[in-house]
Order: sequence, then C-alpha cells, then structure tokens
Amino acid sequence: MVRGTAAKVTSVLRDAGELMAFAGRFFQQAFHKRFEWREFFRQCYINGTLTLPLVGITAFIMGLVLTVQSRPTLERFGAASMLPAMVAISVVREIAPVITAIIGAGKIGSSMGAELGSMKVTEQIDAMEVSGTNPFRYLVVTRVWSTTLMIPVLMVISDAIAIWATWIGVNIKDDVSWGLFYRQVFESLEFSDFLPALIKSYFFGFAIGIVGCYRGYGTEKGTEGVGQAAHSAVVTASLLIFILDLMAVQVTDILGLN
Amino acid sequence: MDAQTSLEHAATGITDERVVEVRGLRKAFGSNVVLDGFDLDLRRGENLMVLGKSGSGKSVLIKCIMRLLQADAGTIRVLGQDVLTLDQEALDRLRVRIGFLFQSSALYDSMTVEENLEFPLRRHWITRDPKQTDALVDEVLNAVGLPQTRRMYPSELSGGMKRRIGLARTLILKPEVVLYDEPTTGLDPITGKEIVELILKLQRAYNTSSIIISHDLNVAKLAANRIIVLHEGRNHVEGSYADLRASNDPVVRSFFIFM
Ligand SMILES: Nc1ncnc2c1ncn2[C@@H]1O[C@H](COP(=O)(O)OP(=O)(O)OP(=O)(O)O)[C@@H](O)[C@H]1O
Ligand SMILES: [Mg+2]
Repeated sequence: MVRGTAAKVTSVLRDAGELMAFAGRFFQQAFHKRFEWREFFRQCYINGTLTLPLVGITAFIMGLVLTVQSRPTLERFGAASMLPAMVAISVVREIAPVITAIIGAGKIGSSMGAELGSMKVTEQIDAMEVSGTNPFRYLVVTRVWSTTLMIPVLMVISDAIAIWATWIGVNIKDDVSWGLFYRQVFESLEFSDFLPALIKSYFFGFAIGIVGCYRGYGTEKGTEGVGQAAHSAVVTASLLIFILDLMAVQVTDILGLN
Repeated sequence: MDAQTSLEHAATGITDERVVEVRGLRKAFGSNVVLDGFDLDLRRGENLMVLGKSGSGKSVLIKCIMRLLQADAGTIRVLGQDVLTLDQEALDRLRVRIGFLFQSSALYDSMTVEENLEFPLRRHWITRDPKQTDALVDEVLNAVGLPQTRRMYPSELSGGMKRRIGLARTLILKPEVVLYDEPTTGLDPITGKEIVELILKLQRAYNTSSIIISHDLNVAKLAANRIIVLHEGRNHVEGSYADLRASNDPVVRSFFIFM
C-alpha cells in the first residue's frame, strides 16, 4: 500500500519533470527564425472555431444562471440593484477565464493529444523529419503559440456573452434598459478586475497547448496509446489550470489587486 | 566476387560502388540490445533485402541509417557521407537523396494526397513553382497508377493505395537510395505482389538502389539481388534467395515455414 503510493508519487513527479523539460524545449525553439506561420494560422483558426461555439453557449448559460440564482440572496439584503455589478465582476474575474480554459482543455487538449499521438504512432512525425522539417517546430511550437494566444481571445468573447446574458437574466424579473445596465456594470468593473484575468488566461492557454502536445508527442505503445494521450491531456491540463488559478489568486493578493 | 556474379550484376546494372556502408552498428534501448555489431553494404543499382522476424530490429536499422534514431556505436556512410556526424543542414541535404517508405505509409491525415506529395518538395526547397510542382505530382501519381486520388484524403484510401501514395511521396524527390520498411506487410498477397512489381518498375525508371526490410519471402524471391538475415542483432547469413532456400540453418528454415 505504502510502496504503491510511493511509486505513484514518484511517477507523478517524474511526469512533471518531463513536462517541464518539454516546456524548456518549447522555449528553446519558440523564437526560432524559421517560424511555421502557415501552420500557426491554421492552428489558430482550428482551435478558435473548435472551441468558440461551446465557449459561447456556456458563457451565456453561466451569465444567465448566475444572475437568476444570485437575485434572492441580494434581495434579502436589499441589494438587488447590485446584481449586474456583482455578476459581472465574478464573470470577468473568475468564471469566464476558468470556464473558457476548462472547455479549451477538453476540446483542444484532447484533440491535440489524439492528433499528435496518432501522428507519432503512424510515423507521420518521422516522415516530417525525413522531409526536411523539424517536427517539433512545425507541430508543437505552432500549437502551443496558438492556444496561448487564442484562449485569451476566447475569454474576452465569453466575457462579453456572459455579461449580455446577465442583462437578459436581470430583465426576467426587472425592467432594466441596456444603457442603465451598462452603466451599472462598468461603473463597478475596474481594469484591475480584467487585467489579472487576462494575464492568467495566457498561462491557461499555454498550459493547454503544452500539455496536449506533451501527451501526444510522447505517445508510445501503438493505437491504444492514442486514446490514453487524449484522455491524460484533458486530465492533466484541467488540473494544471486549477493549480495556476490558485497561484494567480495568491499573486494578485500579494500585489494588492483583490 | 566471382566471374559469374559479376556477369549477372553487369546485366542488372549493379556496380561495385558502395552507396550505403554500415559497420559494427549497435543500438540499445535501455537494457534491450536491438542491434549488436551489424554490417551492411549496398552497391549502386542493387536490391538488398534484410530479412528478420518481427521485433528483430529491422525498422531500428533503417531508422538509424536515416538518423531518425541515433546509433550508439559503429559507422554509417551513405553516398560517401558519414551520417552520424553530419550537422542538421547537411543531414537534410543528404535526406533529399534518400527515400524512405514507412511501414505504416505515414501519410499526413490532415492533408490531401496532392498536399502530401507537395510537402517534401516545398520543405526541401526543391521547387515552389506551382507549374513545376503540379507536373511532378502528376508524374509520380501516374507512375504509381493513382492519378484519380489527387484530391482525396488518406482516410478515403485503401491500405494498398496508401502504400502506393507513400511510394509516390518517396519518389517525388528522385532519391538515389530508397529504404523500404516492410513494403508488403498488412496487404493481401495480390496487392503485395503488385507493390513489389511497382517497386521494381520504379527502380528501373528512377535508377535507384534499395534496401528492402521484410519478413516476406515473396519479396525476397521477386525483388532481392542479395539477402542478409538479421538475427539477434547481427548478420546471421547472407546469400541469394536460392542460397537461403537450400540452407539447413534453423533460423533461415524458420522463414520457410509456410512455403
Ligand atoms: N523508440 C523505441 N524505444 C524503445 N524501444 C524500441 C523503440 N523502437 C523499437 N524498439 C524496440 O526495438 C526492438 C526492435 O523493433 P523494430 O521496430 O526494429 O522491429 P522490427 O524488426 O521492425 O519488427 P516488425 O516486423 O514488427 O516491424 C523491439 O524490441 C522494440 O521494442
Ligand atoms: Mg518494423
């Protein structure tokens, strides 16, 4: 039992170490002069469109549900007029970045794990190498850059959709014009609410890309390894997102931004 | 070399120039020693076959030659260059001259057949001129007899068709040496024979030398000028198909189980 646990801990630590080494390799290659622009733009497009519908729908529902559920509590304290501001702040600071990243981990992380995994086991990565292409730069560097840059974009879009859904939620019981709602939201919302969220979403995007690629690129053991790569990419990326979120709240606290 | 084989070789266009020379090749993964002092010579124009059972290290051997895997010890010379010490740029230049047909065809799933074929041309900076690219793609598609697949994706092709397109992608760079990793494995005997015949036809047309890795004796019979049996990481026996056929060696006999 104890030995089993120790072995597990060791393997998790080794895995973490290898992931760090993989990230190190990314940074070595990330600014190389022969950047694969074409593949990068293709990845941005794929990862953006792959995730946008789901992110949009979830953001809409989150905004709406949060508004409807927060109303009774706020009414009890006679603070129903605070509703737009309160929901908007939680959306911008936490809900949108984390939901976007988790959906990204599920959609993008798993598809990267599976795609690179099957490319590995069917020797497509070797074939690239033979064709005068550095497969790490072609496949990994472009993908990690694309998630790092696209997740924040998706987060901003989900901010907008969730706030719009909040307005709809408020109007289920009240009658608040868009103009008034807008003023209520943006008078309470500050740039210091938005900035830490934006910064952490770059880290989330990086985590999704690097974990998805690490799992896919390291696939072994034939086709069964592909499913495993996809699955463990989602699990690891989601876990990492929450760990990063925890670290982000500590940092903003220390910087006095909370 | 005796007079008889010299004559045979002259007839088939084999010269004495060595295009691939492997000496004392060793490769281990951890404690699993796969190749342990393997030697090989490939002459220009020759079809050399390496016969070995599954897991004997055949793929590892040609991946070392292509430097997709780093050999632990030994020397590998291809077309006069020392593969193990080349820098990346020189290695890429050498790789243009070596074709590699992968065991699993290794077509890029996300690209059409046409894009698959263009990929090595563009990446090796052979040509970016659309007209010239088009002509080359046409040429190899016709050579493998599949011009109609141009806009298809690999997922729409059968195993035999994938192998042919893989072959086309290998040949589009007009390599001098081609390494075939089990060209017939996973195909039915008829398709397998077609692939071998195609390989021989293309070999004559493009004048290549090849190393064919396989455990398929039909390939040995149809295509090989010379056969090396790889067993326990070393050269076990070497000879023509007829030599092996007549051999009493138990390892060699084991390949003839179904014959
Ligand atoms: N990347 C690798 N890492 C660790 N071990 C490997 C690797 N590649 C091959 N091996 C090991 O090397 C040995 C030989 O493998 P190889 O793929 O060369 O066999 P093969 O002769 O091509 O067999 P097959 O006919 O099944 O393709 C096997 O034991 C395999 O486990
Ligand atoms: Mg093999």
